[in-house]
Amino acid sequence: MNKDKIFKLAKGFRGRAKNCIRIARERVEKALQYSYRDRRNKKRDMRSLWIERINAGTRLHGVNYGNFMHGLMKENIQLNRKVLSELSIHEPYSFKGLVDISRNAFPGNKLAVKDGSSIAV
Amino acid sequence: MAVATQAFKGNLKKALAGLRRIDLEGLRWRVFDAKGQVLGRLASQIATVIQGKDKPTYAPHQEDGDMCIVLNAKDVSVTGRKMTNKFYRWHTGYIGHLRERSLKDQLVKDPTEVVRKAVLRMLPRNKLRDDRDRKLRIFAGSEHPFVDRPLEPYVMPPRKVREMRPRARRALIRAQIKAEQGSAGPIVKKKK
Repeated sequence: MNKDKIFKLAKGFRGRAKNCIRIARERVEKALQYSYRDRRNKKRDMRSLWIERINAGTRLHGVNYGNFMHGLMKENIQLNRKVLSELSIHEPYSFKGLVDISRNAFPGNKLAVKDGSSIAV
Repeated sequence: MAVATQAFKGNLKKALAGLRRIDLEGLRWRVFDAKGQVLGRLASQIATVIQGKDKPTYAPHQEDGDMCIVLNAKDVSVTGRKMTNKFYRWHTGYIGHLRERSLKDQLVKDPTEVVRKAVLRMLPRNKLRDDRDRKLRIFAGSEHPFVDRPLEPYVMPPRKVREMRPRARRALIRAQIKAEQGSAGPIVKKKK
């Protein structure tokens, strides 16, 4: 009963942790604790990944993330970071439009030259 | 051009080493010119490019940075007295055998190691670090055997140089005046 459930959850574990009940029980408990914690961490990690991507995308156009978001807040554009990061990957021209809006709203950066094209691989 | 590239046959093997292990060839080849650049600031930009953090498709679990070629590594500059006072230290494992070597000696011995150490120590210490190391090619001079690839020169962002501190500025002015005195004539000028 419980043993079968534990072994079912312990699939893919390393060494004796997938075969011997005493070790598997400990490891499965730990795994469930980690998954509880990481369900909350995932939200933080994903947001930080979106912010990194938006930062990379805006720096291709000469604006950094902080000034970009400030400009968007000023213009009351309520797109969230998830959508913005998707736009920066898949819709580069729309993203450039957003960057221009932000640059007009907040006189941020007029970096002289940027390298290469703005469309990444 | 062909004669020059064949001139360093020894480095050719090192330059092309492990090129087959890098999977994606949708990468760009960025060329950094280290002539006159400050060491740490250059290394920070290289580390950003090598990690792929300037692309919107950055993902922390996969390695998607561009290939970086660094030229003129022997002409990299440092501020302050680091040329004589910056030491690279390592311990050989035997008791009491802490070795050190100054920047000047390291540049004489192997100039590429200076830039390589600087960049590697700026990368995150994870499993992708070795792959990123493989993408970095450093050359002491300005010749490199990758002339048939589509290369893109990297433009460093403009740097804000801090204004000199008053004492250092006065010392600089005094040194200038001394140089003028030596070349022009014995006209004594007191500058405060």
